[in-house]
Amino acid sequence: MTATTTFTYSHTVGFLANQGRGFNNPVDVALDSQGILYVLNRAGPETALRMPYKRVVMCTVDEDYLGELGTGGTGDGEFWWPSALAFDSDDRLYVADEALQRVSIFTKSGELLGQWGEQGPRDGQLDRPSAMVFDSEDNIYLTDSLNHRVQKFGKDGAFLGNWGEEGDGPGQFNMPWGVALDGNGDVYVSDWRNDRVQKFDPSGRYLAQWGSSGDGEGQFKRPSGLAVDPDGNIYVCDWGNERVQVLSPSGQVLACFRGDSVTSTWATAYFEANPDEGAARLAADLEPEVNPRSDRHRETSANVEKLLWGPTSVKLDGQGRIYIVDSLRHRLQIYRRGS
Amino acid sequence: MDEQKALTAHLLRRAGFGATPKELDEYLELGYEATVEKLLHPDQAPPLDDDVVRRYHIDQNSLMLIESSQAYWLYRMINTPFPLQEKITLFWHGLFATAYGKLNHAKGVVNQTNIFRRSGLGSFRTLLLELARDPAMIFWLDNKDNHKAAPNENFGRELLELFSMGIGNYTEDDVKSCARAFTGWTIANADYMSIRASRDSIWPHGRLDWQFVYDPEDHDDTTKIFLGQTGRFNGEDVIDIICAQPACAWFVASKLYDFFVSDTPDEAAIQTLADEFQRSHGNIESVLRTMFLSGFFRSEQVRFARVKSPAEMVAGTARLAGSHRTTDWSIVGLAMDANFMGQEILNPPSVEGWHTGTEWIDTGSLVERINSAAQEVGNTGLAGVKEIIRRMRDGQDVLSPQDFVDRCLDLAGGVKVTEATNRHLTGYAASQGDLRFDRDELVACSEQRVADMLQLIVATREYQLA
Repeated sequence: MTATTTFTYSHTVGFLANQGRGFNNPVDVALDSQGILYVLNRAGPETALRMPYKRVVMCTVDEDYLGELGTGGTGDGEFWWPSALAFDSDDRLYVADEALQRVSIFTKSGELLGQWGEQGPRDGQLDRPSAMVFDSEDNIYLTDSLNHRVQKFGKDGAFLGNWGEEGDGPGQFNMPWGVALDGNGDVYVSDWRNDRVQKFDPSGRYLAQWGSSGDGEGQFKRPSGLAVDPDGNIYVCDWGNERVQVLSPSGQVLACFRGDSVTSTWATAYFEANPDEGAARLAADLEPEVNPRSDRHRETSANVEKLLWGPTSVKLDGQGRIYIVDSLRHRLQIYRRGS
Repeated sequence: MDEQKALTAHLLRRAGFGATPKELDEYLELGYEATVEKLLHPDQAPPLDDDVVRRYHIDQNSLMLIESSQAYWLYRMINTPFPLQEKITLFWHGLFATAYGKLNHAKGVVNQTNIFRRSGLGSFRTLLLELARDPAMIFWLDNKDNHKAAPNENFGRELLELFSMGIGNYTEDDVKSCARAFTGWTIANADYMSIRASRDSIWPHGRLDWQFVYDPEDHDDTTKIFLGQTGRFNGEDVIDIICAQPACAWFVASKLYDFFVSDTPDEAAIQTLADEFQRSHGNIESVLRTMFLSGFFRSEQVRFARVKSPAEMVAGTARLAGSHRTTDWSIVGLAMDANFMGQEILNPPSVEGWHTGTEWIDTGSLVERINSAAQEVGNTGLAGVKEIIRRMRDGQDVLSPQDFVDRCLDLAGGVKVTEATNRHLTGYAASQGDLRFDRDELVACSEQRVADMLQLIVATREYQLA
């Protein structure tokens, strides 16, 4: 990465839909080997009516809808508080659930292959698994948020190790959320309630940390998902500040995305089908002046539609795209990295 | 229960949602007057940190849905360290009743309750002014349709009738002048927001918050006669005139008395509160201090003389049982319980709010109240129930049926029951003998007996009262 690297908004995928084409409170996205997007929808609250809204939606980056898999519930392979998803090297889809305390494994067409995990504080047990990532050997690193640790599993759920405990010192955590790996296999963790990102080697040895509490450049307020590009730059969803910050390996802030969304293809189709609403929208000022009395960034995002609101996850592909899961606006905001 | 403890429990039932045994101990140590001051000053500590709630309950982060917003508020009622802040919010929400049903915008109503949290214990003038500028209120009472060339009287009328003075204290001409004073007080993008609300459109990306705007071009700046005064009044002027009226002082005092003291009016007591309202220039904190320290509030006559609203019922019982103290998806079920009992918070039935007092109770709602409360206190795994059991055993391995019942009533928040009720409870306890913790094999059974007794207590007539 050099100073000539540029980041530009590309486009938006998605709009709000309870079933079928669209998303409902998406929390994570994963790409399979073909580049198909799998978007995980949490869709609370947990009432019977809303169970079908909890699902994985498949689509292309160009917004071709391909289908959905899964549903809400507590049965095998069902979702209650789905939190994260990832593919192994054989294109099997793994979905973590923070309420059911387990990881479910599916084929790409939605056939349940198995599941593992149980609630508890002991080695290998889980208490709200929030994010996960595969390493090059198909092992899983998983943030175990209420146990304040990172755990490592084989893809069949075999416990391989863990580190961390509650605290704010190096190697300690307070409800960690995101986890990502760089090209060397080093592990990055967003330490949610400590407002920082920590870096470890693959065995869990502490290496570095970035950030402090606040909304200034390089500061964080409750960071959530994160990703690392091939140059070692770190993309952090700064959940409480409603933005994504890009940090160089030395901690320099290279970019900050507050949100630039324009109407997606699916949203445009909605307004074509409802021209009176579309016309009223065209006449409206969608960037009104707001003066929140408190929680400035969150309240501003509640007012201005184009901004990120509750970003929970960021993922990268091999073509320079940056996928930000804009959970409360039910969409992905996609940016591009270039030189 | 001694008098000081009974009085403090009474204060906490009215100024909060009841007290756990531990809280009651802490307040007793503080003393009654210091407790009143602590309750009146929620600004002296950081607000409830709700980031964990919003992380795990993603729907409570955006507050797009009514049931999510109800659950979010209930969590606050249950977990706030400053219960009067939530209680006064519930009071103003009932008085300035604004409903999701018309707005189709739950966060808009939640934002209005944030005004009550922020200003509900301060100046009544400030509160009315914030309310008049609140987009949810503007939408609810059609002030966005109140134009210079075509006034809409809905907000102006309700401001006088339901929010500040009451019928008989103003004329129809005052209503017209009041409405004209608020012309131009509207929201941004009114046309787009109206069409979204009318069809409950959540597309493409969920709800958009509303913003207050003042349009001077649409404001009627001509001379008005209002409540005997003449001038080119704007909304602020009208609110100033209203707040100086003795009728306003009486109106607010009587509403506060009804909510915090008794369902049965006491004119002398209300006059005392109205006098303090006028003396303090409408400072609600001062009026409440006068109330809580008064003889009429402390009187035995008004204790257990108000029917708990469903929100008070479910929040108070959850506090007692120790449930929903951390993020827990089932809290939306608790919101549903309150709905089934007849109180959909954030969605009152009309601009008049809820009919309170004995109207909370009918055969259906009573069953809902008892079932919901019994489910909470019957769970021996909950922290609050465990604490009651621990205190029950404290220093006493064997309790007679009478001691068992009296201790349970005491630990359930100082519930005072009639002799007949006490006799029935004691008779039930006696049918199973002494409550014994002196042998290991009896402990689990005795713990369950405590939970069973708590279930009977929450089913009594007296537990329905605050």
